[in-house]
Amino acid sequence: MRRVAIIGAGQTPYGDFPELGVKELFAMAFKEAIESVDKGIAPHEIQQAFIGSLSAGSGFQLGQLAPLLMGHVGLPNVPAVRVENACASGGFALYNAINAVASGQCDVALAAGVEKMRDVSSTKAKYWLGISGDTEFERLAGLTFAGIYAIIARRYMEEYGLTREQLAKVAVKNHYHGKMNPKAQFRQEITVETVLKGAPVADPFTVWDCSPTSDGAAVVLLCSEDRVKEFTDHPVFIIGYGIGSDYLALQDRDSITSFKATRQASTRAYRMAGITPKEIDFAEVHDCFTIAEILAYGDLGFGEKGEVIRLLEEGETYLGGRLPVNVSGGLKSKGHPIGATGCGQAYEVFNQLLGRAKNPERQIKNAEVGLSHNVGGSGGTAAVFIYRREG
Amino acid sequence: MGAHISIPMYQRAVKQRYRLVGLKCSNCGQIIFPPKAGCKSCGALDNFTEVQLSGRGKIYSYTVIAGAGAPPEFSEEAAYRGAYPVVLVELEEGPRIIAQLTEPVPAEIKIGMPVEMVLRQIYTEEDVIRYGYKFKVLEGEK
Ligand SMILES: [Zn+2]
Repeated sequence: MRRVAIIGAGQTPYGDFPELGVKELFAMAFKEAIESVDKGIAPHEIQQAFIGSLSAGSGFQLGQLAPLLMGHVGLPNVPAVRVENACASGGFALYNAINAVASGQCDVALAAGVEKMRDVSSTKAKYWLGISGDTEFERLAGLTFAGIYAIIARRYMEEYGLTREQLAKVAVKNHYHGKMNPKAQFRQEITVETVLKGAPVADPFTVWDCSPTSDGAAVVLLCSEDRVKEFTDHPVFIIGYGIGSDYLALQDRDSITSFKATRQASTRAYRMAGITPKEIDFAEVHDCFTIAEILAYGDLGFGEKGEVIRLLEEGETYLGGRLPVNVSGGLKSKGHPIGATGCGQAYEVFNQLLGRAKNPERQIKNAEVGLSHNVGGSGGTAAVFIYRREG
Repeated sequence: MGAHISIPMYQRAVKQRYRLVGLKCSNCGQIIFPPKAGCKSCGALDNFTEVQLSGRGKIYSYTVIAGAGAPPEFSEEAAYRGAYPVVLVELEEGPRIIAQLTEPVPAEIKIGMPVEMVLRQIYTEEDVIRYGYKFKVLEGEK
């Protein structure tokens, strides 16, 4: 297998864009990715494309979305496929694109994700988000996606003494970060009190524990090591990556305070990179609900399950802390356009590693190794990537 | 599209939904609910026998779905109950299942509370009432 580097990345702002459809969003991110390549790249250098999307546009299944989007940016003959694993669609698109380059199938590949959620009525959005769990047995108990994570949160609180206030601190931190990110959907600081007094969604969650519905797209350009120099002197190598899966329904899992899919994915990624979690300088993790970030700390090896609450309490995962987590604002504040999220995380890590965080106040200083973590549904799938700046 | 469960699809699971009929793996003894084609414990693909589950268990975890947050099929229910509790129950026989907690709901739901399955209306779709299991808290037991 060949080593694979990111040579460019682009991302739309995340938010509510009534004037932009799925094609326009993709084209925006694509253009930025192409223009971000230091020595330039002609679009036709791209040899294969993997595009993550759950809804394939406005909550409707649209067949062959990937070639449609590639045709829209003038590349109808680049072999392209849509990848779907709910909220981890972007991460799995990235995984497939890396493998395409690593295996020698192609030298330059595109990984992307796109979602147009805001076109969909909230009733319909609930319908198509509902299908990302085990619909037959979870949803038909009247459970929502937030409800599934709320059940996880209640159990975590019982087993490890996690408090309601501590949960809220995840949202407070990520909003603090998101305020500095010009591409974040919610650029406003909040307090623990804001979270506690928010409209109830699913006990113990209020609306402030939940990531929003968002429009957005992200594009990442990958290249084999032997050709990297043609495009940049500042590549970011993917030094480790892994994926994992589990039963979709919580009821079928032995533990609900840990995601086996994440543990599987991260174990593989660390082993391939030959490093331990201690060597990670910063991470973008999947905080679709506040509890999800707490689970991620444990499952990514940032600390022992139950103990990890300290990371948050002591400010270690804040920008400027020992291990900043979600400096982009995370899904919570940056936004969560389902299929785009995994590639949007890679975009953030790429730019942070190269000192290109745009707004200097949000730049992590001297980081060399970053990690991103993308989860499908409530832990049915997960993808983890470890990145290192070289040169 | 949607989270639509057609009548034929629902009908195929009536044994589970009305009577909590599970499977027992003859190879390793694992009790499986809802039924699956492969045993989660030993991976066997055949030699399962049906078992009737007792319907008794304990609350393993819970949430309360707020009125505004309910899925569309349950919006009517949320409208008249205001909010409704959903629990993950650990059955005596081992499997865990997700279901609603039915009235009377205790003032404070606690993990570990003993519960028992009851057959109730779950929701209506395509003008057909879908029945299935809910759980009620057993008062005064531990
Ligand atoms: Zn077995």
